[in-house]
Amino acid sequence: MIRARELTKHFQVHKRPPGFVSAMKSLFHRTYETVKAVDGVSFTIERGERVGFLGPNGAGKTTTLKVLSGLLHPTSGEVEVEGHVPFKRETELLERITLVMGQKSQLIWDLPPSETYAMNRAVFDVPKAAFEKTLAELTELLELAPLLDKPTRQLSLGERMKCELAAALLHRPTTLFLDEPTIGLDVAMQVAIRDFVRSYNQRHEATVLLTSHYMDDVVALCPRIIVIDRGVLIHDGDLRQLIKAMDPDKRVSFTITTGTPPTDEELGKLGTLVTREAQRITLKVTEAQLPGVIGHLLNLKAADLAIEDPPLEDVLRVMFGQSKAKANGPGTGA
Amino acid sequence: MMRYLRLALVQLRISAAAGMAYRGDFLLEGLMALAWMAMTLLPLFVLYQGRESVAGWDAPSAMIVIGYFMAVRAVLEGVVSPSFVDLVERIRSGAFDYVLLKPVDAQAIVSASRFEPWKIFDLLGALVLVVYAFVKKGHAPEIQHVGLGLVLFVAGVLAMYSLWILCAAASFWVVRLDNLTYLLGAIFDVARWPVHVFRGLWRFVFTFVIPVAVMTTFPAMALLGRLDAQTALGTIGGALGLLLVSRLVWRFAIRNYTSASS
Repeated sequence: MIRARELTKHFQVHKRPPGFVSAMKSLFHRTYETVKAVDGVSFTIERGERVGFLGPNGAGKTTTLKVLSGLLHPTSGEVEVEGHVPFKRETELLERITLVMGQKSQLIWDLPPSETYAMNRAVFDVPKAAFEKTLAELTELLELAPLLDKPTRQLSLGERMKCELAAALLHRPTTLFLDEPTIGLDVAMQVAIRDFVRSYNQRHEATVLLTSHYMDDVVALCPRIIVIDRGVLIHDGDLRQLIKAMDPDKRVSFTITTGTPPTDEELGKLGTLVTREAQRITLKVTEAQLPGVIGHLLNLKAADLAIEDPPLEDVLRVMFGQSKAKANGPGTGA
Repeated sequence: MMRYLRLALVQLRISAAAGMAYRGDFLLEGLMALAWMAMTLLPLFVLYQGRESVAGWDAPSAMIVIGYFMAVRAVLEGVVSPSFVDLVERIRSGAFDYVLLKPVDAQAIVSASRFEPWKIFDLLGALVLVVYAFVKKGHAPEIQHVGLGLVLFVAGVLAMYSLWILCAAASFWVVRLDNLTYLLGAIFDVARWPVHVFRGLWRFVFTFVIPVAVMTTFPAMALLGRLDAQTALGTIGGALGLLLVSRLVWRFAIRNYTSASS
């Protein structure tokens, strides 16, 4: 279980304008600015949940993950992970959690991943039999067999990420903090990693808190999402409900292959035109209009008809726009 | 405790493997070890050309100081320095986060994260040099002096290690700290001479401030049977004190670690 109450993390950042003169000045007199990376965030995540952690760049996602995993001391507020206070870095807790950072590597560069695994086995004091069993399971799930004995520097980015995941999970943690685990990977590899995380979560009833820039990761993996922006929590709940609350209209896509294609004006009567590429058309339609629009489209012999929720990216863009407007507030613009 | 022992063994094996990953380097480094040994002895031969003794030290006794110097330097260059370089790199890249996430003391992981296995040749060379010095002197050291000499060698290594840990702790605030260790390395070079060669302020500095005397001169005196009990205890106490201070500073630094950006 993960619990954060009124979590706040501020950083003192040295600030100076560009240029030689100000560089010289800053040697003698420095001005500092307080950056509120995380500002009073509260949430509770139960054991076995998969939660997506979303927000634009600099929203405070990584800082929150670092506080939860004990790398940073919170400025104020309470944090609890599996019954422990993370920044005390107690052995019992560190043996149960893991943090995977897509942009940082723990594998030893010049040696094969198997050497890093041997090292982690010693560090986590994993008995030999348990280690071999876990490694066999991870090797099968992540298809690591051909990679284990290749020097890390010769692995591709995707291969390395799979090996990183294995290194992070050899001690069978029950809480997983995943920070952009699929960054830079191709679609097939993203899907593989996603499937793996889901399967690990189900097998070991592990709690997963995931940040990702790829909305597909979040949609596919996380029934619940927490959204933060500028260090403040702006949504916590079911993914579908969020989409519904922000943008209740459906996206109706279809292809016209026979007869004369409808003009934009004709389409405008059915709903709002979103995209029109060659014969593929996407409309935004309210739920009330939906049955009528579908009936009409079937009369037009529209093919490949699909009705979907709006993409999460669009919903978030609207959401961050609102939160920005709120942050700037009335009066500050004057 | 067992965990730390196993960790040390795995690190040793992995570093040896990493050292041998580039086979050409390994051979080259072996030859370099021999060349360095010759270079280290050269100034000694120059100094004692036509002289019987310098600051109360005859040539074979000064050779023992150089033996200790080579041995401490072997530990420095074989374990402490490469691990330090590795640590600075990890702090810069943010991979140090992974060290803090491990359920073992971070200092234990970073202190011996890299070995340069061929430095064992330097250590053997130092031993040969000390034996040769006693052959030149014409008598063997007494067993209790050998014992104290070994204890003080450990104290000397601890003192040197503590200085580097202090530098490492500083690198949490100032990430680019390679220069400070160059300076420290240059100062450590002084340890090849008996501290009595220096006078006044410098002798004080090299005994108490940057205690290079603790690393080589006093251990050599112990082996020669010339060290009084008070200085021996002072040396051990000083080394332990320095170790304690470096540990406290390290822990303070870890608390203030802010982690590199995502």
